[in-house]
Amino acid sequence: MNNLSDLHIDALAEVFSIGAGRAALSLSEIVGDEVRISVPSIQVINSKDINSATLLLNDGRFGAVSQYFSGPFNAEAVLLFAEDQALKIVGDMMGSQMSIEELAEFEHEAMCELGNIILNACLSAMADIFEFTLESSLPDYTVASADEILHRLKTNSNQPYVMVLHIDLTIEKRHTAGNLVFLLSSSSLDSLISHVDQFLGKIS
Amino acid sequence: MPVDNSIKKLLIVDDSKVSRMLIRTHILAQRPEWIISEAVCGEEAIALVDNDLPDYCTMDINMPGIQGTDAAEQILSKHPSIKTVIFSANIQETHQTRARSLGTILVAKPVTEKSIALTLDFFATSQ
Repeated sequence: MNNLSDLHIDALAEVFSIGAGRAALSLSEIVGDEVRISVPSIQVINSKDINSATLLLNDGRFGAVSQYFSGPFNAEAVLLFAEDQALKIVGDMMGSQMSIEELAEFEHEAMCELGNIILNACLSAMADIFEFTLESSLPDYTVASADEILHRLKTNSNQPYVMVLHIDLTIEKRHTAGNLVFLLSSSSLDSLISHVDQFLGKIS
Repeated sequence: MPVDNSIKKLLIVDDSKVSRMLIRTHILAQRPEWIISEAVCGEEAIALVDNDLPDYCTMDINMPGIQGTDAAEQILSKHPSIKTVIFSANIQETHQTRARSLGTILVAKPVTEKSIALTLDFFATSQ
């Protein structure tokens, strides 16, 4: 996986930083407070090389929001948060002092909405900057163990590449770390790189 | 509005090389005679302006080290003549208010012809 130069990664980092800014603005309007989202790192690796360290996964259970995107390239995007952190985010979004049991009732809906906001903000930033159109499916939310998530990522033979973005989310001073993972086929990764090259060609 | 064709110096502060390239390309398309320098973080920008005072500055917010708004505040307290535009993807009200309090404006990323036009307009009208 050597097709991506530092400049490619820089361009993608800038795109996702803009996406994170858009998502933070939308979320701040929901929670009524400042929201910070940053993307401190991006890496593209072969899915067989992915492990719990890549995704900073521990032994707990994780909430995963999945959404499919199609356009010049196709990708499955998965937003991952530790479930206990996901419930805290849901609490911030619901804006009340609910018990964990009560929050769990809203977990599915609120996490789908959170995923929808972050994923679409990132993908719309990418579409605007690289000048193409992406369509998205409805988000789906599942809770799974780290092993189940890794197994699913590693055994997806149609999409042998993964782009992993670490995400730092701060709502009302509460810090949460998560991951945004894009599963890409070889041709989709080539297409993405080609669009980044076209973009860079215009400014270099 | 009459265009000031005199040679000006612009400092671009952004940790992303791509973002610096974008700003440079769009600015030079409009003002090819301008002299452009770059800094990759707030600390470097603060050091640079003491040695080579620019007329204008574009400043990112989220960078390694100090935040761009804090760097802008330090720079403007010493060199209030530098017309500064804060470029950021984070356009929440707190950042907009902070930018205004510094006598700057916040322009939303991505960097486009439109955002550069806003920037050049601010530089030209805030003399």
